[in-house]
Amino acid sequence: MRLLTVESLDVFYGDVQAVRNVSFTVDEGEVVTLIGANGAGKSTTLRALAGLLVPRAGRVVFDGQELAGRPANELASRGIVLVPEGRQLWPAMTVLENLRMGAYPKHARARADAILGEIFAMFPILERRVSQKAGTLSGGEQQMCAIGRGLMAQPRLLLLDEPALGLSPLLVREVFASLRAIRARGVTIVLVEQNVPHALALADRAYVLETGRVTLTGTASELLVDSRVRDGYLGYGSV
Amino acid sequence: MRRLSLAAGVSLAVFTLAAPLFLERGTLNDVWSLAFAVILASAWNILGGFAGQVSLGYSAFLGIGAYTTVLLSLKGMDPFLSLPIGAVLAAIFSVAIGLPAFRLRGPYFTIATIGVGEAVRVCASSVSFTGGSSGLRMPAGSFDFTRNYEAMAVLAILTVVVAALVKRSAFGQALAAIKQDIDAAEALGVNSTRFKLGAHALSAAIVALAGSLYAINFQYIAPGSVFDFRLSLSIVLMPIVGGVGTIAGPVLGALVFSTLQIKLLSIPALRDSYLFIYGTLLIVVMLFEPKGILGLLRRVFNRRLRRFYADA
Repeated sequence: MRLLTVESLDVFYGDVQAVRNVSFTVDEGEVVTLIGANGAGKSTTLRALAGLLVPRAGRVVFDGQELAGRPANELASRGIVLVPEGRQLWPAMTVLENLRMGAYPKHARARADAILGEIFAMFPILERRVSQKAGTLSGGEQQMCAIGRGLMAQPRLLLLDEPALGLSPLLVREVFASLRAIRARGVTIVLVEQNVPHALALADRAYVLETGRVTLTGTASELLVDSRVRDGYLGYGSV
Repeated sequence: MRRLSLAAGVSLAVFTLAAPLFLERGTLNDVWSLAFAVILASAWNILGGFAGQVSLGYSAFLGIGAYTTVLLSLKGMDPFLSLPIGAVLAAIFSVAIGLPAFRLRGPYFTIATIGVGEAVRVCASSVSFTGGSSGLRMPAGSFDFTRNYEAMAVLAILTVVVAALVKRSAFGQALAAIKQDIDAAEALGVNSTRFKLGAHALSAAIVALAGSLYAINFQYIAPGSVFDFRLSLSIVLMPIVGGVGTIAGPVLGALVFSTLQIKLLSIPALRDSYLFIYGTLLIVVMLFEPKGILGLLRRVFNRRLRRFYADA
């Protein structure tokens, strides 16, 4: 079943156009990744989907409803939840307060305790850090806390913006293992990631963005062997 | 530390309530000023401290409360019955200015509130029903200092209690999320505008109540007194000097502030220099202890505690 349809999306920062005529679709239960270099418009697309930026043109249809330009808090309560780049935890709150606050949308409150247990099972380190201020966590722990906070909102569509950014190779692997576990629970994911090998290994399908446009699309396994992707993003092309 | 400040708060509350039994009128006046300052600082702190929205336009709410009380008293109403009306009007006004102003963030919001405060003052001086720039006097025979003192003392205690309840509630948690990262709060479903409006309305209503009591006590108000920008500035300085975003901080700030004010006002040469002194205080706090007096106390207290355990 189709969960999300993005059609001809245009997003601007002032006069500068960051996203040009971007279209893609996401089916229920799918993991779709947007890959591309810095400044390709990946994060901008995600922020527009989450309602943090207002697209100038285009359609965003989620679960049969046109939602482009709606405020972020409304989208969150409909189940579109963003785990932002750079984590954006509330630094002066404890880990537990951050997670609890994640269950803010009305539909998420009833099962908050059960989900909290699942998150601690997925990230045992968070349970040991519950009463620590989020601002004092290490980068990897912060990322886990941010993902956990996103899960507390019980998303139907989880938007992940560079969850592996700035993490050590070991932690990157750990984060991607947790994303696999999240996918196994049936959460639909749109993943923006510069770590293309990992992203393609996780995703079902992928879209390649260049300077705000979609230039290539296909299943993840197709793109893994596509010469243009190998040359441009996988780092073992002939340069 | 928490138990200590709770004990200090309760003793201060008991002292304030019992003060008319043993203090003479002049000193009681000073305690009245302290209670007034505590209300303004703690109420401002609900929006400015908990939600991080620094407004420099709070004299508008104080003035709305004051003018409502004087105008309704002149129409023959019991001044104390006019208090809730002033509070509701101020809350409505806070929503009206909040709707556009909260679209702005950080310093831009602050600048907008300066404009609102000044605009209200200019309006109040130029329309006729407010008595213009010469102000209004309460009807004769409406003054009872003891009653006014008690109302102010009770309001001060209630304000601090309400602030403490807000801080611990889900509402307060949402305000904290807005303060620490508004985008993250929005992305997780917090309607930040609604919460900011709520905090604004609550604090505006409380400040208006204090404004009404101010008008009853001084019997005379003018745009230059209740809509004064320096008043807005003082309201912001108290919580910042005391410890912004905390419960005890604004009370401490108000204590320091009203003591200084009383001391300075009694020295004619220094009468107009109090803003200079507060400005200096503000810079010192910003540079050396951004968490204010409360932060300083916590640091000293924690060090003592550590040393105590190290010795034991």
